[in-house]
Amino acid sequence: MLITLEKLTKRFGATTAVDGLDLEVRPGRVTGFLGPNGAGKSTTLRMILDLDRPTSGRALLGGRPYSSYALPLRKVGAVLEAKAAHPGRTGRNHLLAMARSNAIAPARVDEVLELVGLSKNARKRTGTYSLGMGQRLGIAGALLGDPPVLILDEPVNGLDPDGVRWIRGLMRDLAAEGRTVLVSSHLLSEMQMTADHLIVIGHGRLLADAPLDEILSGHASLEDAYYTLTEGTALR
Amino acid sequence: MTMLRATIGAEWIKLWTTRTVWWALTAALVLMAAGAGQYALYAENGDIDQTGAGEIAVLGLSFAQLAFLALATIVMTSEYSTGTMRATLTWTPVRSRLLLAKSAVIAGVTLVAGTVAGFVGVAVAAPILGNSSMGAVAPKMGLYLALLGVFAVGLGAALRGPVVSLVVLLMLVVVVPPLLQVPDLAVLNTIADALPGVAGQRFLLENSYGGLVIVAAWATAAFLIGARVLRRRDA
Ligand SMILES: Nc1ncnc2c1ncn2[C@@H]1O[C@H](COP(=O)(O)OP(=O)(O)OP(=O)(O)O)[C@@H](O)[C@H]1O
Ligand SMILES: [Mg+2]
Repeated sequence: MLITLEKLTKRFGATTAVDGLDLEVRPGRVTGFLGPNGAGKSTTLRMILDLDRPTSGRALLGGRPYSSYALPLRKVGAVLEAKAAHPGRTGRNHLLAMARSNAIAPARVDEVLELVGLSKNARKRTGTYSLGMGQRLGIAGALLGDPPVLILDEPVNGLDPDGVRWIRGLMRDLAAEGRTVLVSSHLLSEMQMTADHLIVIGHGRLLADAPLDEILSGHASLEDAYYTLTEGTALR
Repeated sequence: MTMLRATIGAEWIKLWTTRTVWWALTAALVLMAAGAGQYALYAENGDIDQTGAGEIAVLGLSFAQLAFLALATIVMTSEYSTGTMRATLTWTPVRSRLLLAKSAVIAGVTLVAGTVAGFVGVAVAAPILGNSSMGAVAPKMGLYLALLGVFAVGLGAALRGPVVSLVVLLMLVVVVPPLLQVPDLAVLNTIADALPGVAGQRFLLENSYGGLVIVAAWATAAFLIGARVLRRRDA
């Protein structure tokens, strides 16, 4: 399933967070979404999920807005921020409610808990979770509906080395199964190992939209290439 | 319709899987028993005009309703204070359906728990007053609290902050009416009569269906405004 951005623009007062993004994110590969702090990555992802309203332009999933899907969790799995669950609710109850909202069988909850390695902590309140456990719970939620599209905003944040390697493998597997995987990250060496394709933005504008190899060519590393691309768009 | 049922199911699970609901319902019953007991003793001493157990339970409700109002407010505003609203809206992106589900869950719970609280108030007051139990008012309390719950959920959706929502709610239901009534001016009394707390009292004590309609109108208005804000504003 294709993610399409059509002249997507978002202004917050005087700041233009996202500035006319026009692109496609294709299935079957991991697309890395890069850019300095404040470049507009999270805002773009929120607009794809119909959480923020675009000032102009639009974001479509399979040609339709996110909110037009009756059971959206079966189309798109998203990890937006580590804090997606009420701290007083157990991880398992959080996922059970989530499954219920999209008519997903409760048995699937235990499956994804097992998959992300949270089975032992599933009955603890999420307020007691470490950063990485919270991140794993978010990933469990994203996988709940077995969706063809995954949108992950800095999913590696807070994961231990095992977790980092695990999620790298997971993203590659999901893409190999033909899914669309869009992942934002600041960890360039990690992205170099994970992504097939990169979208780089700065000040909300598109700086690059190309296969990893193409972006890497002529540079020693993705870090080198990134600095050349984003020159002058970083916060300081 | 099936989608609405799924959303209600999810909100139902969410309601019963944090401790808030247990605290609130326990507090409501304790406040009702204590309030009705206290007013019954006043009535027994001839300190107040009301003498029926049903009336006394309605007086006790002025305390107990605070717990119900807090519960209904928290159900909506905790989504913002704990940062879960974005997740919730990715599960259910249709704003009006989400608000409808939250309102339905709160209305259902306050209808039942409010009725139970009404019976508790009557059961506490009746023996003290020595009159036979008059439970007829209890289901009406449930109905009043259900409408007030929908009002609070809508208000929470419109205002988002738990504190500001609760303050506005308490102003409209509890604080402002007596202030308006003190000078005993016709204009101010009319305004007070149109506020949800006073209208609710008239429904409960005087069987005024006009009062019930006013409370329902507040609930509907808050729901519509809340739904509009949810649709318009970024999550
Ligand atoms: N709700 C909001 N209100 C006002 N400004 C906002 C809001 N959300 C984002 N912004 C602004 O929009 C710009 C883009 O922010 P965004 O969070 O999308 O960046 P990002 O690329 O995700 O950054 P990071 O790498 O730090 O996560 C920033 O200037 C930010 O201050
Ligand atoms: Mg971000």
